[in-house]
Amino acid sequence: MSKDEKEKKKGGIFQAVKEFVYGVAAHDSARFALKTRASMEHLFILITMGDMLGVPILPPYYSLRLLPYVVPQISTWKRRMLREKDLTDALA
Amino acid sequence: MNSVVVLALAVIVFFLGYRVYAKTIDAKVIKSDPKRATPATMYMDGVEFMPTSKNILFGYQFKSIAGAAPIIGPIIAIQWGWLPALVWILLGTLFIGWVQDYTSMMISLRNEGTSFGGLSYRLISPRARIILLSFIYFYLLLIAGAFGNVVVSTAIALKSAPMAWLFLTIGGVLAGQMIYRWKKDILLTTVVTVFIALAGIFLGGIAPSDQLIGESLANSRVLWTIAAFVFCYFAAVLPIWRFALPINYVASYIVFLGLLFGVIGILILHPDFTLPAYTDFTIKIGPIWPIMFVTIACGAISGWHSLVSSSGTARQLESEMDARPVGVGVMFIEMCLAIFALIIAGTIYASAADYGAAVAKGPGGVFAAGVAKFLGALGLSETMGRSYGSVMMIVLAITIMQLVIRFMRVATSELLGDVSPLFKNAHIGTFVASVLGAVLVLTGWWQYLWVLFGGANQLMASLALMLVTAWLMSEGKNAAWTFYPMIFMFVTTVSALLYTSYSLLSKVLTGAVQGEALIGNTLMGLVGFFLVIAALLLGVEGFKAFGRYRTLKAQPTSA
Repeated sequence: MSKDEKEKKKGGIFQAVKEFVYGVAAHDSARFALKTRASMEHLFILITMGDMLGVPILPPYYSLRLLPYVVPQISTWKRRMLREKDLTDALA
Repeated sequence: MNSVVVLALAVIVFFLGYRVYAKTIDAKVIKSDPKRATPATMYMDGVEFMPTSKNILFGYQFKSIAGAAPIIGPIIAIQWGWLPALVWILLGTLFIGWVQDYTSMMISLRNEGTSFGGLSYRLISPRARIILLSFIYFYLLLIAGAFGNVVVSTAIALKSAPMAWLFLTIGGVLAGQMIYRWKKDILLTTVVTVFIALAGIFLGGIAPSDQLIGESLANSRVLWTIAAFVFCYFAAVLPIWRFALPINYVASYIVFLGLLFGVIGILILHPDFTLPAYTDFTIKIGPIWPIMFVTIACGAISGWHSLVSSSGTARQLESEMDARPVGVGVMFIEMCLAIFALIIAGTIYASAADYGAAVAKGPGGVFAAGVAKFLGALGLSETMGRSYGSVMMIVLAITIMQLVIRFMRVATSELLGDVSPLFKNAHIGTFVASVLGAVLVLTGWWQYLWVLFGGANQLMASLALMLVTAWLMSEGKNAAWTFYPMIFMFVTTVSALLYTSYSLLSKVLTGAVQGEALIGNTLMGLVGFFLVIAALLLGVEGFKAFGRYRTLKAQPTSA
């Protein structure tokens, strides 16, 4: 085994342990922080751009001003809003 | 037998299960394909559906499934002797445990990340979903009751535990503030808060609860039950970043370090089993079959794992090839945790009488004594070791309890919100769940409560296997490897629940119990019967679905 491969393997094991500890300790916290932010953002988009999903909101002037900033999130937002949800989703 | 031989057996079973059986199923039946898009890659939203490294998911899955059950189960089950418990832990995991965890992950993975509610609706029937949700509610209630009992009995049996628990809570709440409000560095936060938790363990050892609040309060079941459920109440109604998650964060370090050093301690001391290999076919809580099988709980197979695997982990898998290391690998690690608990219970007492006297006060005391012995091999004093073990036990139980109460709050709102808008209120839902759990803790005998929990838990697992079998049949795949485990677990768990419920209710009907025990026996017996009826109804729905899929398979395909 060459020196580079040895170092890579050492780094690989160290990285794996680091990721495992992160998974045990902090991954859930990071997920919930993201969930909270996403819920707020998606609610905001629903209020301002709800007409895209058929919610009868008259598009105001400010919605048009915001549109360029919302564009990158539209597909994700639509998917999350229209996805069928179930009670058992709340378990994780 | 020496404990190192038992550890070696566990390693052999791990190898056979992971490298041979699971690998064959993964390659030949499920046909995992690294090129097939997973829900995480197809529907990536950066939140729930997010491709994540398998190492992170391995840690996440382990943290999600490893609660108090794989430790307490073997500690209680050793009453039948360590040999039957060992055999069931090894064979149960090898033939059923990983099958359930892995397939629950795969079924969700191949069905756009749908969780069990949606899957039962789609694969079995709309009625099956409603029955499953009702089943899950009462199953979670039993978790709250059984784990609550563990917390309360540990706080009473080990007087150092309350102080350590209090400091852990303070450290956890401070961690939430430091990370999310004050935006402090994560490393600094970790060092400060873990230090606070360790200081609590130290202070618990030198200032036990009976010296601080008096003998009667320190031994009060009511006080510690209220403390446990007030803790869960806060976890359920406060924003999750403020209370539940940061406490789990700090606790994970305490548990992780304790387990790591505990295993090192076992390897250093490598003690022999001192308790008998086999005692009797029938003991006070029931016969070896079916009761011991359900008592072991998560150490062999657990329905909780299927719920976590399908609703959380499956949505984050980057590749189908990661399902085996995460789903199968973590189940075998859980098996090793159960073996660790079995070694603790089987080797630290000089005789069965000593063990009997210790376990009568609750499993927390047995676990803490074991942790103290094995951490002692690394130089920690016995008082500190017991204090450390007691907080580990409380943490392992209460982190699952708070999640359960939180989910029951959501479930109350969903299931009863249409009946009355009152149930949509977060405080009402949490209060109902907490009161029901507290009544179970205060009135039920902990060993019966544990058996009922174990029965419900493994019945949930058999229902998960039923869902998986229906899915495999609908896909035209070989389903025998999930069908027979499902039948075995269904018969075993229904028998265990019927036996225990009958034992409880017969005491009520014959007037053998009075007062608190009358309430506890009635409640536990009725919950047990309800779960059996729900499972039988689901079984009927499931077999109708199997019939449909068989008919479809038998029909010639049109050209």
